[in-house]
Amino acid sequence: MLKDKQETMPVIDCDVHNQFRGGGDLLPYLDEPWRSQAARFGVPSAGAPYASPVGNKRKDADPPSGLPVGSDPAFMLEHYVNPFNVEYALLCSDSIIGISGFADPDYAAAICRAYNDYVIAEWFPVSSKFKGYMCVAMQDPAQAVREIERIAPHPDIVAVCVIGGSRMPYGDRYFHPIYEACQRHQLPLLIHPGAEGGGIFNPPTAVGYVSNYLQWHTCLPQTYMAHLVSLVCEGVFEKYPEFKVVLCEGGVTWLPPLLWRLDKNFKALRSSAPWLKRMPSEYVRDHCFMTTQPIEEPNNLKHLDMMFEMFDAENMLLFSSDYPHWDFDDPTQILRRLPEEKKRKIFSENARKLFRL
Amino acid sequence: MAVYPVARTEEIPEGTFKIVQIEGRSIGVYNVKGEYYAINNYCPHQGAELCKGPVCGTTLESQVYEFIYGRDREILRCPWHGWEFDIKTGKSLFSDKVRARSYPVIEEDGQIGIVIGQPKQREGTEGC
Ligand code: FES
Repeated sequence: MLKDKQETMPVIDCDVHNQFRGGGDLLPYLDEPWRSQAARFGVPSAGAPYASPVGNKRKDADPPSGLPVGSDPAFMLEHYVNPFNVEYALLCSDSIIGISGFADPDYAAAICRAYNDYVIAEWFPVSSKFKGYMCVAMQDPAQAVREIERIAPHPDIVAVCVIGGSRMPYGDRYFHPIYEACQRHQLPLLIHPGAEGGGIFNPPTAVGYVSNYLQWHTCLPQTYMAHLVSLVCEGVFEKYPEFKVVLCEGGVTWLPPLLWRLDKNFKALRSSAPWLKRMPSEYVRDHCFMTTQPIEEPNNLKHLDMMFEMFDAENMLLFSSDYPHWDFDDPTQILRRLPEEKKRKIFSENARKLFRL
Repeated sequence: MAVYPVARTEEIPEGTFKIVQIEGRSIGVYNVKGEYYAINNYCPHQGAELCKGPVCGTTLESQVYEFIYGRDREILRCPWHGWEFDIKTGKSLFSDKVRARSYPVIEEDGQIGIVIGQPKQREGTEGC
């Protein structure tokens, strides 16, 4: 039975995870020779090299059908989307999200093609509230671009999703063709954590592998900091002035001090990035968004209010719950102190504008 | 204060629990190794239905790099963010100040009763 929900404002949830019912779900969408291979040996993946003591899923989200958590669209609607007044649940693949950590670029690209066709065929038609993100594999930008060309026109695809783990910072020129394609199709790039340090990726922190999931999860913003500084300073937003980036599930409050540091350095070291015409923080404000979950929870909640005053939170934040994962944020419970108007922007209006919903 | 009869002892064998509704509250009644405890079915963090979480043990205080498993079946872990609560007291394992409400339990003649609204109820009082 659901607990009584207080009156809630409409929510556009920018991070809802749809899972496969089983390994066979992708098979009908997978090209040969990978289909035969996967049919016999399963779909291997390159996940995070850590196990969590609480697992990755909520313990109260099992569909009564007996299907795996997150794999039953009807139950997702009944359990989360409808009772929480979710206007759109933006679906972000669960288990193939880390596919860019797999060494074989052609295999990874094939999995992404299959997933994109699968989510379009099997999830979006279930409800007009389902829209979502296509996946691309970062190993081979040329194939990623072709996939964006193929899938982007679909009306329910609202962003291109990649994982935070990487072999190099995302501002690198190697990736620029992907950003050009995103801009051409007016699709933001959404970076989602999940496999930092897995597969062929670099270690998850600048000093290497931490020992366990607790440390790994806490350090995820490191990766985002490096990607963000790189994206700005490599001039990605000068080259692609309409390109937008969403930093999903990587924390929020680290942003202001990073930007202070970056702006300060830029004043002295501007000559290393002469293509930047504005302060670095201005590019971030105009091109980057962050999702809220898992929202920081200082003991003194006023401190979070203060952090929100230190950057353009009301225009840069997008609500996300991460349903049905273990660190789910309940939209009726978080950010209750925000004034109604700001909350409305963060809970739906910013996403509506960004994703053109 | 009032004692609410909620179950016969045989309804909640060792290692199981039952959710009961009393005056609009949902309460989990747990049988931990033969003793009964009642804990509010509401997580003090973000309000998940706490009793949907697994009953488990945990790692005890230890030396660095030592893992000692213990308190088996005495810990209730929230189904959302995994906070651990001592079923006997409702206390979270990371802070004395954070706790799920727990209620005294009275067991008499095979009948389990929950005590609600004790004057100045001390949350986390162990079953009498
Ligand atoms: S709601 Fe229980 S740990 Fe967060």
